[in-house]
Amino acid sequence: MSKKSKFAVSIICAFFGLMIAIQFQSVQKPKERDTRDMWEVRAQLQEEQKTQQKLYQQLKELEAVTKQYQENTERQQIETLQKSIDSLKEKAGLTRKTTSGVILTIKPIFRGSTEQEYPSVTSELLNRLINELNTYGATDIAIENQRVISITSIRNVNGETYVNNLRLPDLPIEIKIMADDPNRLIDHMEVSQSKDDFAIENMLLDTSYQEEITLPAYQGNINLDIVEVNETQETGDE
Amino acid sequence: MWLPVFFLIIGITLGLLTDITVPDQYSNYLSIAVLAALDTLIGGIRAHLDKKFDQTIFITGFFFNITLAVLLAFLGVQLGVDLYLAAIFAFGVRLFQNIAIIRRHLFNKRKR
Repeated sequence: MSKKSKFAVSIICAFFGLMIAIQFQSVQKPKERDTRDMWEVRAQLQEEQKTQQKLYQQLKELEAVTKQYQENTERQQIETLQKSIDSLKEKAGLTRKTTSGVILTIKPIFRGSTEQEYPSVTSELLNRLINELNTYGATDIAIENQRVISITSIRNVNGETYVNNLRLPDLPIEIKIMADDPNRLIDHMEVSQSKDDFAIENMLLDTSYQEEITLPAYQGNINLDIVEVNETQETGDE
Repeated sequence: MWLPVFFLIIGITLGLLTDITVPDQYSNYLSIAVLAALDTLIGGIRAHLDKKFDQTIFITGFFFNITLAVLLAFLGVQLGVDLYLAAIFAFGVRLFQNIAIIRRHLFNKRKR
Protein backbone atom coordinates (compact mmCIF):
# COMPACT_ATOMS: atom_id res chain seq x y z
CA MET A 1 0.00 0.00 0.00
CA SER A 2 1.32 3.41 -0.88
CA LYS A 3 1.96 5.99 1.78
CA LYS A 4 -0.79 8.19 0.44
CA SER A 5 -3.49 5.54 0.63
CA LYS A 6 -2.29 4.52 4.06
CA PHE A 7 -2.86 8.08 5.15
CA ALA A 8 -6.33 8.04 3.59
CA VAL A 9 -7.23 4.86 5.45
CA SER A 10 -5.93 6.43 8.64
CA ILE A 11 -8.08 9.53 8.20
CA ILE A 12 -11.12 7.35 7.53
CA CYS A 13 -10.27 5.37 10.66
CA ALA A 14 -10.11 8.54 12.71
CA PHE A 15 -13.48 9.56 11.28
CA PHE A 16 -14.90 6.16 12.16
CA GLY A 17 -13.55 6.40 15.71
CA LEU A 18 -15.09 9.84 16.13
CA MET A 19 -18.48 8.54 15.02
CA ILE A 20 -18.28 5.59 17.38
CA ALA A 21 -17.33 7.86 20.27
CA ILE A 22 -20.20 10.24 19.57
CA GLN A 23 -22.68 7.40 19.28
CA PHE A 24 -21.36 5.86 22.48
CA GLN A 25 -21.74 9.12 24.31
CA SER A 26 -25.24 9.74 22.97
CA VAL A 27 -26.36 6.33 24.18
CA GLN A 28 -24.67 6.74 27.55
CA LYS A 29 -26.17 10.14 28.29
CA PRO A 30 -29.02 9.96 30.81
CA LYS A 31 -32.36 10.52 29.15
CA GLU A 32 -33.80 12.81 31.83
CA ARG A 33 -32.43 16.28 31.55
CA ASP A 34 -32.68 18.99 34.18
CA THR A 35 -35.10 21.43 32.58
CA ARG A 36 -35.80 23.60 35.60
CA ASP A 37 -35.42 27.30 35.09
CA MET A 38 -33.80 29.74 37.49
CA TRP A 39 -36.97 30.39 39.42
CA GLU A 40 -37.67 26.73 40.06
CA VAL A 41 -34.11 26.11 41.13
CA ARG A 42 -34.31 29.06 43.48
CA ALA A 43 -37.59 27.83 44.93
CA GLN A 44 -36.06 24.40 45.46
CA LEU A 45 -33.03 25.94 47.11
CA GLN A 46 -35.23 27.93 49.47
CA GLU A 47 -37.18 24.82 50.31
CA GLU A 48 -34.00 22.95 51.12
CA GLN A 49 -32.72 25.81 53.23
CA LYS A 50 -35.96 25.81 55.19
CA THR A 51 -35.64 22.09 55.76
CA GLN A 52 -32.08 22.57 56.86
CA GLN A 53 -33.08 25.26 59.32
CA LYS A 54 -35.83 23.09 60.69
CA LEU A 55 -33.44 20.19 61.12
CA TYR A 56 -30.93 22.43 62.90
CA GLN A 57 -33.68 23.61 65.21
CA GLN A 58 -34.70 20.06 66.00
CA LEU A 59 -31.10 19.09 66.56
CA LYS A 60 -30.66 21.96 68.98
CA GLU A 61 -33.72 20.94 70.96
CA LEU A 62 -32.64 17.32 71.10
CA GLU A 63 -29.15 18.30 72.13
CA ALA A 64 -30.59 20.36 74.97
CA VAL A 65 -32.57 17.34 76.11
CA THR A 66 -29.51 15.07 76.04
CA LYS A 67 -27.56 17.66 77.96
CA GLN A 68 -30.26 17.69 80.60
CA TYR A 69 -30.12 13.92 80.84
CA GLN A 70 -26.38 13.89 81.21
CA GLU A 71 -26.05 16.66 83.75
CA ASN A 72 -28.91 15.93 86.11
CA THR A 73 -29.56 13.44 88.88
CA GLU A 74 -31.78 10.44 88.42
CA ARG A 75 -34.85 12.13 89.83
CA GLN A 76 -34.36 15.05 87.51
CA GLN A 77 -33.75 12.68 84.63
CA ILE A 78 -37.10 11.07 85.22
CA GLU A 79 -38.61 14.52 85.37
CA THR A 80 -37.08 15.39 82.02
CA LEU A 81 -38.38 12.15 80.58
CA GLN A 82 -41.83 12.90 81.93
CA LYS A 83 -41.66 16.35 80.40
CA SER A 84 -40.75 14.97 76.97
CA ILE A 85 -43.55 12.43 77.21
CA ASP A 86 -45.99 15.19 78.12
CA SER A 87 -44.89 17.39 75.27
CA LEU A 88 -45.12 14.50 72.82
CA LYS A 89 -48.58 13.62 74.14
CA GLU A 90 -49.69 17.17 73.65
CA LYS A 91 -48.35 17.16 70.11
CA ALA A 92 -50.16 13.90 69.34
CA GLY A 93 -53.44 15.26 70.72
CA LEU A 94 -53.73 12.97 73.73
CA THR A 95 -54.25 15.77 76.27
CA ARG A 96 -57.01 18.26 77.01
CA LYS A 97 -56.13 21.69 75.81
CA THR A 98 -57.59 25.06 76.74
CA THR A 99 -56.73 28.34 75.00
CA SER A 100 -58.42 30.98 72.94
CA GLY A 101 -59.73 29.78 69.62
CA VAL A 102 -62.49 29.68 67.07
CA ILE A 103 -65.84 27.94 67.23
CA LEU A 104 -67.21 27.06 63.83
CA THR A 105 -70.86 26.06 63.77
CA ILE A 106 -72.44 24.28 60.82
CA LYS A 107 -76.14 25.23 60.71
CA PRO A 108 -78.87 24.28 58.29
CA ILE A 109 -80.37 26.91 56.01
CA PHE A 110 -84.04 26.72 55.14
CA ARG A 111 -85.08 28.41 51.97
CA GLY A 112 -88.82 28.29 52.63
CA SER A 113 -89.80 25.44 50.35
CA THR A 114 -91.53 22.61 52.16
CA GLU A 115 -89.97 19.76 50.16
CA GLN A 116 -86.46 20.56 51.31
CA GLU A 117 -84.64 17.74 53.04
CA TYR A 118 -82.93 18.30 56.35
CA PRO A 119 -79.31 18.81 55.28
CA SER A 120 -76.49 16.63 56.58
CA VAL A 121 -72.72 16.90 56.40
CA THR A 122 -71.11 14.40 54.05
CA SER A 123 -67.67 12.99 54.75
CA GLU A 124 -66.23 14.64 51.62
CA LEU A 125 -67.40 18.07 52.67
CA LEU A 126 -66.04 17.58 56.17
CA ASN A 127 -62.71 16.33 54.83
CA ARG A 128 -62.41 19.35 52.60
CA LEU A 129 -63.31 21.65 55.46
CA ILE A 130 -60.65 20.10 57.70
CA ASN A 131 -58.08 20.38 54.92
CA GLU A 132 -58.95 23.99 54.43
CA LEU A 133 -58.76 24.73 58.15
CA ASN A 134 -55.34 23.11 58.28
CA THR A 135 -54.24 25.19 55.31
CA TYR A 136 -55.29 28.36 57.07
CA GLY A 137 -53.20 27.59 60.13
CA ALA A 138 -55.35 25.49 62.45
CA THR A 139 -53.20 23.69 65.02
CA ASP A 140 -55.81 21.59 66.84
CA ILE A 141 -59.32 20.68 65.78
CA ALA A 142 -62.20 18.94 67.52
CA ILE A 143 -65.43 18.00 65.74
CA GLU A 144 -68.31 17.69 68.22
CA ASN A 145 -65.88 16.88 71.02
CA GLN A 146 -64.00 14.37 68.88
CA ARG A 147 -60.39 15.41 68.73
CA VAL A 148 -59.00 15.32 65.19
CA ILE A 149 -55.48 13.90 65.23
CA SER A 150 -53.27 12.83 62.37
CA ILE A 151 -54.85 9.37 62.09
CA THR A 152 -58.44 10.46 62.61
CA SER A 153 -60.79 8.91 60.07
CA ILE A 154 -63.74 10.74 58.57
CA ARG A 155 -65.80 8.16 56.74
CA ASN A 156 -69.14 7.60 55.18
CA VAL A 157 -70.72 4.49 56.71
CA ASN A 158 -74.17 3.55 55.41
CA GLY A 159 -74.93 7.13 54.51
CA GLU A 160 -73.89 8.48 57.89
CA THR A 161 -70.71 10.40 58.57
CA TYR A 162 -68.41 8.91 61.18
CA VAL A 163 -65.54 10.71 62.89
CA ASN A 164 -63.14 8.60 64.92
CA ASN A 165 -65.53 5.66 64.38
CA LEU A 166 -68.36 7.52 66.11
CA ARG A 167 -71.44 8.78 64.34
CA LEU A 168 -71.70 12.51 63.84
CA PRO A 169 -74.92 13.95 65.33
CA ASP A 170 -77.40 15.91 63.25
CA LEU A 171 -76.93 19.60 62.58
CA PRO A 172 -75.97 21.97 64.07
CA ILE A 173 -72.43 20.73 64.50
CA GLU A 174 -69.80 22.54 66.45
CA ILE A 175 -66.13 22.45 65.43
CA LYS A 176 -63.58 23.86 67.84
CA ILE A 177 -60.39 25.10 66.30
CA MET A 178 -57.16 26.36 67.79
CA ALA A 179 -54.79 28.42 65.71
CA ASP A 180 -51.77 30.58 66.18
CA ASP A 181 -53.73 33.50 64.83
CA PRO A 182 -57.46 32.82 65.28
CA ASN A 183 -58.64 36.12 63.81
CA ARG A 184 -56.78 35.46 60.60
CA LEU A 185 -58.37 32.03 60.43
CA ILE A 186 -61.81 33.60 60.80
CA ASP A 187 -61.04 36.05 58.02
CA HIS A 188 -59.89 33.22 55.79
CA MET A 189 -63.00 31.16 56.53
CA GLU A 190 -65.25 34.08 55.63
CA VAL A 191 -64.06 33.88 52.03
CA SER A 192 -63.32 30.17 51.88
CA GLN A 193 -64.33 27.68 49.23
CA SER A 194 -65.91 25.53 51.93
CA LYS A 195 -68.43 28.24 52.70
CA ASP A 196 -69.68 28.06 49.11
CA ASP A 197 -69.60 24.27 49.09
CA PHE A 198 -71.63 24.05 52.28
CA ALA A 199 -74.05 26.69 51.01
CA ILE A 200 -74.78 24.55 47.94
CA GLU A 201 -75.80 21.77 50.34
CA ASN A 202 -78.02 24.20 52.30
CA MET A 203 -75.64 24.65 55.21
CA LEU A 204 -74.15 27.72 56.77
CA LEU A 205 -70.72 28.05 58.35
CA ASP A 206 -70.71 30.40 61.29
CA THR A 207 -67.37 31.33 62.84
CA SER A 208 -66.92 33.10 66.15
CA TYR A 209 -63.90 33.93 68.28
CA GLN A 210 -63.88 32.62 71.86
CA GLU A 211 -61.53 33.68 74.62
CA GLU A 212 -61.47 30.21 76.05
CA ILE A 213 -62.27 26.91 74.40
CA THR A 214 -61.41 23.44 75.59
CA LEU A 215 -60.48 20.65 73.25
CA PRO A 216 -60.96 17.13 74.59
CA ALA A 217 -58.21 14.53 74.42
CA TYR A 218 -58.24 11.83 71.78
CA GLN A 219 -59.86 8.82 73.36
CA GLY A 220 -58.99 5.92 71.11
CA ASN A 221 -55.79 3.96 71.00
CA ILE A 222 -53.16 5.01 68.52
CA ASN A 223 -52.18 1.82 66.75
CA LEU A 224 -49.02 2.47 64.81
CA ASP A 225 -48.41 -1.14 63.74
CA ILE A 226 -50.27 -0.60 60.50
CA VAL A 227 -48.73 2.77 59.75
CA GLU A 228 -46.24 2.87 56.92
CA VAL A 229 -44.19 5.63 55.39
CA ASN A 230 -45.74 6.71 52.14
CA GLU A 231 -42.91 7.23 49.70
CA THR A 232 -44.87 7.68 46.54
CA GLN A 233 -44.98 11.22 45.28
CA GLU A 234 -48.28 12.70 44.36
CA THR A 235 -48.82 15.43 41.81
CA GLY A 236 -47.78 18.73 43.22
CA ASP A 237 -45.21 17.27 45.59
CA GLU A 238 -41.83 18.59 44.78
CA MET B 1 -0.06 -0.87 9.74
CA TRP B 2 0.01 1.04 13.02
CA LEU B 3 -0.94 4.39 11.56
CA PRO B 4 -4.68 3.54 11.07
CA VAL B 5 -4.93 2.12 14.60
CA PHE B 6 -3.25 5.23 15.96
CA PHE B 7 -5.68 7.46 14.09
CA LEU B 8 -8.62 5.36 15.25
CA ILE B 9 -7.57 5.93 18.85
CA ILE B 10 -7.14 9.64 18.15
CA GLY B 11 -10.66 9.75 16.69
CA ILE B 12 -12.18 7.98 19.66
CA THR B 13 -10.40 10.21 22.19
CA LEU B 14 -11.37 13.30 20.26
CA GLY B 15 -15.00 12.21 20.28
CA LEU B 16 -14.99 11.41 23.98
CA LEU B 17 -13.18 14.61 24.95
CA THR B 18 -15.33 17.00 22.93
CA ASP B 19 -18.47 15.74 24.66
CA ILE B 20 -20.58 15.94 21.52
CA THR B 21 -23.92 14.16 21.68
CA VAL B 22 -26.54 13.52 19.06
CA PRO B 23 -30.21 14.13 19.87
CA ASP B 24 -32.22 11.00 20.61
CA GLN B 25 -34.21 11.03 17.38
CA TYR B 26 -31.04 11.17 15.27
CA SER B 27 -29.08 8.46 17.07
CA ASN B 28 -30.63 5.91 14.66
CA TYR B 29 -29.00 7.62 11.70
CA LEU B 30 -25.65 7.76 13.40
CA SER B 31 -25.75 4.08 14.27
CA ILE B 32 -26.44 3.22 10.65
CA ALA B 33 -23.65 5.53 9.52
CA VAL B 34 -21.31 3.76 11.95
CA LEU B 35 -22.30 0.43 10.42
CA ALA B 36 -21.68 1.74 6.91
CA ALA B 37 -18.28 3.07 7.93
CA LEU B 38 -17.35 -0.25 9.50
CA ASP B 39 -18.40 -2.04 6.32
CA THR B 40 -16.26 0.24 4.19
CA LEU B 41 -13.24 -0.20 6.44
CA ILE B 42 -13.50 -3.98 6.44
CA GLY B 43 -14.06 -3.86 2.68
CA GLY B 44 -10.91 -1.79 2.31
CA ILE B 45 -8.86 -4.30 4.29
CA ARG B 46 -10.21 -7.11 2.18
CA ALA B 47 -9.40 -5.24 -1.05
CA HIS B 48 -5.91 -4.62 0.25
CA LEU B 49 -5.44 -8.33 0.93
CA ASP B 50 -6.84 -9.11 -2.53
CA LYS B 51 -4.30 -6.57 -3.84
CA LYS B 52 -7.14 -4.64 -5.47
CA PHE B 53 -7.06 -1.64 -3.16
CA ASP B 54 -7.99 1.63 -4.86
CA GLN B 55 -7.78 4.78 -2.80
CA THR B 56 -10.42 6.70 -4.77
CA ILE B 57 -12.94 3.90 -4.58
CA PHE B 58 -12.24 3.49 -0.88
CA ILE B 59 -12.78 7.14 0.04
CA THR B 60 -15.78 7.72 -2.22
CA GLY B 61 -17.26 4.42 -1.05
CA PHE B 62 -16.94 5.51 2.56
CA PHE B 63 -18.88 8.73 2.15
CA PHE B 64 -21.28 7.40 -0.47
CA ASN B 65 -22.25 4.38 1.63
CA ILE B 66 -22.83 6.48 4.71
CA THR B 67 -24.93 9.00 2.80
CA LEU B 68 -26.98 6.30 1.12
CA ALA B 69 -27.61 4.47 4.38
CA VAL B 70 -28.69 7.62 6.17
CA LEU B 71 -30.89 8.66 3.24
CA LEU B 72 -32.51 5.24 3.19
CA ALA B 73 -33.19 5.44 6.93
CA PHE B 74 -34.58 8.94 6.51
CA LEU B 75 -36.86 7.82 3.68
CA GLY B 76 -38.02 4.93 5.83
CA VAL B 77 -38.94 7.27 8.66
CA GLN B 78 -40.86 9.51 6.27
CA LEU B 79 -42.76 6.59 4.75
CA GLY B 80 -43.34 4.78 8.01
CA VAL B 81 -41.54 1.67 6.74
CA ASP B 82 -38.44 0.39 8.50
CA LEU B 83 -36.22 0.82 5.43
CA TYR B 84 -33.10 1.14 7.58
CA LEU B 85 -33.40 -2.60 8.07
CA ALA B 86 -32.49 -2.99 4.39
CA ALA B 87 -29.26 -1.08 4.95
CA ILE B 88 -28.49 -3.03 8.11
CA PHE B 89 -29.12 -6.29 6.30
CA ALA B 90 -26.96 -5.40 3.30
CA PHE B 91 -24.10 -4.08 5.39
CA GLY B 92 -24.35 -6.97 7.82
CA VAL B 93 -24.15 -9.62 5.13
CA ARG B 94 -21.26 -7.88 3.40
CA LEU B 95 -19.46 -7.40 6.68
CA PHE B 96 -19.54 -11.11 7.45
CA GLN B 97 -18.51 -12.05 3.91
CA ASN B 98 -15.57 -9.66 3.94
CA ILE B 99 -14.45 -10.84 7.37
CA ALA B 100 -14.63 -14.45 6.16
CA ILE B 101 -12.45 -13.62 3.15
CA ILE B 102 -9.96 -11.72 5.35
CA ARG B 103 -9.79 -14.70 7.68
CA ARG B 104 -9.04 -17.04 4.76
CA HIS B 105 -6.30 -14.72 3.53
CA LEU B 106 -4.70 -14.65 6.97
CA PHE B 107 -4.82 -18.44 7.28
CA ASN B 108 -3.29 -18.86 3.82
CA LYS B 109 -0.50 -16.47 4.74
CA ARG B 110 0.30 -18.50 7.86
CA LYS B 111 0.28 -21.79 5.98
CA ARG B 112 2.84 -20.56 3.51
